[in-house]
Amino acid sequence: MQTSPRASTKVKALKTRAQQEQRLGWLLVLPSVVIILSLILYPIIYNMFLSLFTFDYSGQRSFVGFGNYAKVLADPEFRTALGTTILYVVLTTLGTTVLGVVVALALNKEFPLRGLVRSIVLLPYVAPVISVVFAWQFVFDPVNGIFMDIFHSKLGIFAERVNIVGDPNTAVWAAIVFSIWKNFPFIYLMVLSRLQAVDKTLYEAADVDGASSWQQFKAITMPEIYYVVSALILLRVIWNFNKFDEVYLLSSNVRVLSVYTYLKAFTGSMDFGQGATLAVLQFFILIGFILFYVKKVLKW
Amino acid sequence: MKKAFLILLVLALLSTGTLFAQSKSEVRKEKPVEIEFWTTETQSDRMATIQVLIDTFTALNPNISINLIPVNEDDLVTQAQTAKATGSLPALFEGPAETAVSFGAQNMLDISSATEIIQEIGVDRFYSGPLKVLETSAKNQYYALPYHGWIQGIWYRSDWFKREGLKAPTTWDDVLVAAKRFYKPEINQYGILVGTLPESYTEQCFTPIAMSNGAALFNADGELIFNSPEMREAVEFYAELAKYNPPGPQTWRARDYYLQGKMAMFFYSTYIMDDLAVQEAAAGSLTSEYFTELKGSSFDPDLVNKTEVASMVKKKVPAGYGTVVSFGLFNQSTPEQTAAAKEFLRYLYTPNAYITFLHMAPGGMNPMLKGIATDERFQNDPQGLFKRYGTQKMADIIDGLENVQTFSIVEGKRIEAASEITAKMIIPQMLYKITQEKMPIDSAMNWAEEEMRKVLQ
Repeated sequence: MQTSPRASTKVKALKTRAQQEQRLGWLLVLPSVVIILSLILYPIIYNMFLSLFTFDYSGQRSFVGFGNYAKVLADPEFRTALGTTILYVVLTTLGTTVLGVVVALALNKEFPLRGLVRSIVLLPYVAPVISVVFAWQFVFDPVNGIFMDIFHSKLGIFAERVNIVGDPNTAVWAAIVFSIWKNFPFIYLMVLSRLQAVDKTLYEAADVDGASSWQQFKAITMPEIYYVVSALILLRVIWNFNKFDEVYLLSSNVRVLSVYTYLKAFTGSMDFGQGATLAVLQFFILIGFILFYVKKVLKW
Repeated sequence: MKKAFLILLVLALLSTGTLFAQSKSEVRKEKPVEIEFWTTETQSDRMATIQVLIDTFTALNPNISINLIPVNEDDLVTQAQTAKATGSLPALFEGPAETAVSFGAQNMLDISSATEIIQEIGVDRFYSGPLKVLETSAKNQYYALPYHGWIQGIWYRSDWFKREGLKAPTTWDDVLVAAKRFYKPEINQYGILVGTLPESYTEQCFTPIAMSNGAALFNADGELIFNSPEMREAVEFYAELAKYNPPGPQTWRARDYYLQGKMAMFFYSTYIMDDLAVQEAAAGSLTSEYFTELKGSSFDPDLVNKTEVASMVKKKVPAGYGTVVSFGLFNQSTPEQTAAAKEFLRYLYTPNAYITFLHMAPGGMNPMLKGIATDERFQNDPQGLFKRYGTQKMADIIDGLENVQTFSIVEGKRIEAASEITAKMIIPQMLYKITQEKMPIDSAMNWAEEEMRKVLQ
């Protein structure tokens, strides 16, 4: 069967049009592709390249293959930093999520001045990190801080004055509490916006069926917010795993991986090669977690 | 045809106009030489004073433009390494002499330009001690130009010492006895402040203690002798002193506790002089207006009279510590930039500019040129500090700079590697590990020795 010349011209025109649109599409995404390649992919690949070298003080590099990886993995300080990072990430993610969800549920109820309270809760998140860090250091100053004044001098809960933020044994706990306090409003904000979109008739029907508050939470609220909370947990893990500013500014003694990498690469005997290696390892650990989480929890 | 002719005419007019405008602008104004100046005086009031000096200089030299960039002293090495890697080193920097020597040892500095200006000013006009700190291994060549300096000592509550019948803290034993006696954490009072964070202040406190015990990083042949019994003894003593510190890792900022009457002694430079004597200067450190119930937080106007300083500490030999702050010229890609930086340096050494600069921190910034200290304008500082302490005390402080000691000069020989070790802050990191992470002294010293060997490779 032969197609009529008119039909074949039409097909051709459509093809040309589709090709034109495809070309236009590529042109439109080209700037983004170039930016992504140059700003994201290039530094990652270059960093991987650098991790295969050692550097002397004049900046000359010599190829060592996977020598830096062997050294880093054998370094007990790396294992301590990894352990501290896992502790920090797990507890801060858990803390911000639980607190954020609880506050969102509480502030979803009707009560006087709700708008004002909702805004105030956001303050820790919107305040600049440097100013809140100084405020915390001031509050926890072992000699002049208000915290020790109350908990040691007035209440006697602490037997002696302790430098909670500075002492390497307690600093990590201070950093965890600080991160939870600073970042829970983000979870609260996201969860609250999801809660407001939940159909109220579902709760009315559950009421009619005699479901308790807990049953309503389990059967309606949880499934409704599941994917939002799961995505937020993933985001928080990514952010907290790479967190540097909050931790380092509050107390440089908290040796999470990002701080350890900085100290290794830019202080003391400045080992750029091992610094780059640490960054690569950090990258792969995070990518591994993301792939696992996306498949198992987010079920994409 | 007519249309095409019109278009051509318009284009011709536009292009001639543009060309003419370009040539006119080239004739009218030559672009000034732009240089960067890194300063470690990062406080806003000091930045403002330096900017005034720059503005005055550029008004007199419109062909030069200077960008002032503040760099934290602890970050200076890192920033310079990064700038070196990217080819964007500034023309001029202000920083500790040890750091300048470390840069010089890495061939980053324009030694001939620095030497040329020193010779122009006159080698004899400089105090010889500070100049020696900046001399290269080849004699009569200088890594950088000494500009101001401070000495460090143990500042202590002489009234408390008198009350307890204690001797001034000039020997190891006297320091330790006093630190123990005044350490009363139950009433929020501490014996002494020594640095325990991995930063410059810690090294500044430790150096005179080590040197007073005859400990050194290198011998005169340039061999690393860090891990010696003398050094171990000094480290052990320092760790013992740190037990009488305020809680947790501490840095210079804890000097506030002294100003609040909560500490007996602290290692500090002459920069403290204005905080001790001038209420406005101390106000930034104190917090009484916000927390009125906190004890001891108000300024004691009589503190200056209850404070004395022991500028030397003794075990086997007396040792003092001081820092010379210098101006260095980084190697530049164009000779115009170097010439501009040199011109600015010449201006900074003129009496008016020099005294204006030094008055930013009377007592802390002391002159390196002999004539300046006796200049009436210099002695008449805006805060009246020199009058308060008296000319003799000020003269003693300035004379103390002649005896500045450092790990990098051994028996008169310059050991550049020692400056690099100082710049990499290996010793403060070791002291942090010992005092805060409770690492055994021997392990920490072995770790530090290993790090030092990496630097030497």
